[in-house]
Amino acid sequence: MKPPVHEEQGPTATLPVGSPAAVRGYLILLARRHRGGFSVVVALHSVATLAGLVGPWVLGSLVESLATGTTGSTITVAVAWYLLALVAQAAFTGWSRMRGAVLGERVLADLREDFLVRSVALPTGVLERAGTGDLVSRGTTDVDRLDKSVREAVPELAVAVVSLLLLLGALLVTSPVLALTSLVGLPLLLATSRWYFRRAPQSYRNESAGYAAVNTVLAETVDAGRTVEALRLGDERIRLTDRKLREWLAWERYTLWLRSVWFPTIDAVYTAAVLATLVLGGLFTLRGWITVGQLTTGVLYAQMLTGPVDLILRWYDELQIGQASLARLVGVREVPEHEGDESARPDGRRVEARDVRFGYREGADVLHGISLDVAPGSRVALVGPSGAGKSTLGRLLAGIYAPGGGSVTLGGAALSRMPAERVRAEVALVNQEHHVFVGTLRDNLRLAAPDADDTELRAALDAVDAGAWVDALPEGLDTEVGSGGTSLTPPQAQQLALARLVLADPHTLVLDEATSLLDPRAARHLERSLSRVLEGRTVIAIAHRLHTAHDADVIAVVEGGRISEYGSHPELVAAGGPYAALWRSWRDER
Amino acid sequence: MPLSSLPLADPGSPDLASPMAFLRWLQRSQRRGQLLATWWTLLEMGCQAALPIPLGLGVQAAVDGDAGGIWRAGGLALLLAAGAATGTVLAHRQAVWNWMHAACQVRQLVARQASHLGAGLSRRIATGEVVAVGSGDVERIAWYVELVARVRSAVIVWLAVSSVVLVVEPVLGVGVLLGVPVLAASVWPLIGPFERRYEQQRALGGKATELAADTVAGLRVLRGIGGEELFLERYRAASQKVRAAAVRSARIWSLMQAQQVLLPGLFVVGVTWYGARLAASGELAVGTLIAVYGATAFLAAPLRILGEAAHAWSVARVSSGRAARVLSLSRTVGAAEASLTRPAKADLHDPVSGLTARAGELTAVVCGDPDFAGALAERLGGHVPLAEGEQEQPSVRLGGTELDTVPLAEARVAVLVHDKEPVLLSGTLAELFDVPSSGRLSAPEALAAARSDDVLEALVDGSPECAGDPMRARITERGRSLSGGQRQRLALARALLADPPVLVLDEPTSAVDAHTESRIATGLRDTRAGRTTVVFATSPLLLDQADRVVLLRDGRVAAAGRHRELMRSEPAYRAVVTRDEAAAQPVGEAV
Repeated sequence: MKPPVHEEQGPTATLPVGSPAAVRGYLILLARRHRGGFSVVVALHSVATLAGLVGPWVLGSLVESLATGTTGSTITVAVAWYLLALVAQAAFTGWSRMRGAVLGERVLADLREDFLVRSVALPTGVLERAGTGDLVSRGTTDVDRLDKSVREAVPELAVAVVSLLLLLGALLVTSPVLALTSLVGLPLLLATSRWYFRRAPQSYRNESAGYAAVNTVLAETVDAGRTVEALRLGDERIRLTDRKLREWLAWERYTLWLRSVWFPTIDAVYTAAVLATLVLGGLFTLRGWITVGQLTTGVLYAQMLTGPVDLILRWYDELQIGQASLARLVGVREVPEHEGDESARPDGRRVEARDVRFGYREGADVLHGISLDVAPGSRVALVGPSGAGKSTLGRLLAGIYAPGGGSVTLGGAALSRMPAERVRAEVALVNQEHHVFVGTLRDNLRLAAPDADDTELRAALDAVDAGAWVDALPEGLDTEVGSGGTSLTPPQAQQLALARLVLADPHTLVLDEATSLLDPRAARHLERSLSRVLEGRTVIAIAHRLHTAHDADVIAVVEGGRISEYGSHPELVAAGGPYAALWRSWRDER
Repeated sequence: MPLSSLPLADPGSPDLASPMAFLRWLQRSQRRGQLLATWWTLLEMGCQAALPIPLGLGVQAAVDGDAGGIWRAGGLALLLAAGAATGTVLAHRQAVWNWMHAACQVRQLVARQASHLGAGLSRRIATGEVVAVGSGDVERIAWYVELVARVRSAVIVWLAVSSVVLVVEPVLGVGVLLGVPVLAASVWPLIGPFERRYEQQRALGGKATELAADTVAGLRVLRGIGGEELFLERYRAASQKVRAAAVRSARIWSLMQAQQVLLPGLFVVGVTWYGARLAASGELAVGTLIAVYGATAFLAAPLRILGEAAHAWSVARVSSGRAARVLSLSRTVGAAEASLTRPAKADLHDPVSGLTARAGELTAVVCGDPDFAGALAERLGGHVPLAEGEQEQPSVRLGGTELDTVPLAEARVAVLVHDKEPVLLSGTLAELFDVPSSGRLSAPEALAAARSDDVLEALVDGSPECAGDPMRARITERGRSLSGGQRQRLALARALLADPPVLVLDEPTSAVDAHTESRIATGLRDTRAGRTTVVFATSPLLLDQADRVVLLRDGRVAAAGRHRELMRSEPAYRAVVTRDEAAAQPVGEAV
């Protein structure tokens, strides 16, 4: 059977994925951190396994003595040993599982916390370009997958390996010939396992991606209910779901086939071990090479081999899946941190762009030599058609990207060389993204000023006209907002973002279509809030609406990555260029 | 096995009377599969249970010095092992197939329900809940459905093993017969507390994951304005809570693990002790002792299945209830027997606001209240899904026929309402534009009318696998990789392509820059020439292209005319459109 042709595309990795060497390095780091705990778990489990080996041994010696004739007291003594061993086995099993869980949970907490620590330190430029989708899926899906690996696969595998080694050791002690006999099927097991594990991990990943894809379609259908109904896409959505189901089931069938080939070979190997010990061992006994007791114990041990072997085979691919997820988490560590140059210190507040060139890809410049001088306290509007490079220019002026050629400076110092903390104390980019974090309103505000008290928070809210609705909430600043909490309207979310700006208090703001996603009728009220925030600051606004441009000190019309018109509103209107034409049609002054 | 019959051509109509009824209905739809799974599991476990017999025979033969007996025992063991191996693989295949059948059936049902309820669904139930049914709940339901077949086999095997031992040695037989249910029940007291702690751990885990996702999703805000440390601290606290809760549930779990070793072990020890004494007095052969020991130890397998069943039942009941609730939602549609004649040639009239959109014209609606405008736009399409406790309003009329009395499907064909936040469904651009349409316009024409050249460029840039063909470029979920203005233009192009007789657009260009908006306005006018179009807007660039502009105040039509007339004659209109308040004085503008 061939694997299905269709592979579900996971989220495109926009950030690096850790190399095997990096994953190994990280695992060594973790192992060092938790060396003590790990040794304890292995020791406890070894005791439990050894105790578990007593049973067959007792039975063997019983059979031995029964065959040679025995008394009731030997039976009682032997069974008492068995009982004692059983109690020890139970106690140590429970104990080792407990210690294992404690250790596993520590490791997991380390993994997820390490990941977030690295994520929040990613340079803004990387985030702008890579987006947050990939990072979110790493922080959720990959962390969840590792949960399963660390909570179940790693301990089960460790337990299985220890048990297997001890069991083989016990067989060796009971009878070296029997130990060798029990291994007759080993080559077959190695060969088929190799075949299986070459195909399994990727197939299981595809299977689970396929399972998730059905859900993505379903979530979209529900989410886009209005659109689906309005455009009469219902039947199409059903067809699409069925198609995704078919693709998922194809992978389910493929992995089922892999197991259908592999499981019988495991059974065969296991059967070979038991049969060989029984038949050959029986014949050995007849020759007097081993005793009946050894035979009994050996057969029972051989039968026990199936336990750890099954465990290893069952959890091995889970471990491989976990490893892939770990590589994605570790990948975040490979993004070089933006250190920043402590000596790059601004002298004054003048923002200057000199002959700036910039492209997202090699050889495809978006900006072709832009020069712009923004005096402290002045207001500059960038206007122009979509795709002209306004937003890119805005991000350069906010220090998010470093220019490919030319320079962007604040008070004479290159913005892109300053540490992120310093840049944001001076310049802030305000865009369409007004994320409301899960937490209280207070949490949402305090991120901009961790030391601010309630009076300052209220003052900031009042400054953006948000005081009234916050007071109207039953729990005021303690109201839980964000996904799952009280939902805020888009204008409220935007006001919250503006209040954060008031608290952060940077002297220069780059507004990138800050209100454009809002309904124009709601935007009007919001712009009043915004204008208060802007008072006394240098403002570079990427303007959609011409009335925004109208009041700016200077308007720069950006077209095709160049500034095509530059001047104040009256100057540009008087010049009679494209801006003037647009303005007239907008104001109906033809 | 007929695996290729999935997904089902028709998932059927389920019995939703109760969670149990739904589970039983699912079982009935795979009766043959259930029977086969029981049979193969029976073969598997039967052979495994019998395997200790040849082992005992073999040892006995060794004791008796009978080489032929050893070979015969080996042969029997080989036969049983082959039977067990066959049973294992076939039982596994059948169990997985049953699982897939149930999971696929439920998911198909949920998908059909979501598609049929359309706009009505999200008003009645949270998206998350439907998605939870489609993923986690489906797994649990299917697990239970599949497991029932194996439980049957486990019970049969237990009874069979007991009766065989009963015949050989009555006292031991009674022990086995009663021991298994006692041992199965002994797990119960711990399951409850474990489930509770585990639920707690999962809830905390979910919260921590949500916090991580939320922090990362808002990372650009955090990096731009600060607060990383604050959020890290918060996450660390949540993560440590998860750790503590997981350790708490692990405590019970380790106890259960210890119990699973101890109790069956005690049982085996007891049997061994009793059997050994019988053997010592010569009442039991040594080989039989080994066989009884092996059979008792084997009973752990059916015991595990019974334990699994207890767990599966407790979770599947909840999941099945949730699924049944989602599947039983319905959209009430009154008598819908009316029919539309020539919808393209009919005026659209709303009796509540007094708004009329004339056939074949481009009507612009200006309204100061965005919420009212949104609600009115939705009403213009008819069949507004009501939230609970909401009052129905008089229906909109198209050419005199009340839209609410026309079948839903027909109303949607006649009027397309393009709301403020149309969703771009993920897929390639070609898939996005694969909508039921009149066929009058091609996709490139619609894209050109919505002035989307730069969107196409951005799409090609962002998806290297499309090899320069924008129609093969992928749009990510909700078009998140595009800017707001780009998303709006793609959505508008899609609505233009559908080319309905009546098109209602609510602020279709609010996020588009003025340069582009003015070009879209003419594109819209040209593509909709001769068709009825209503556009809710405030931008003069759009309003200027309308045949007629209607001003709404306090929910009623206040004035109507061409844009320029209204600009001259209506100060209220001028105030809304140019955002000037009294005396046309610019107030509080952004810059």
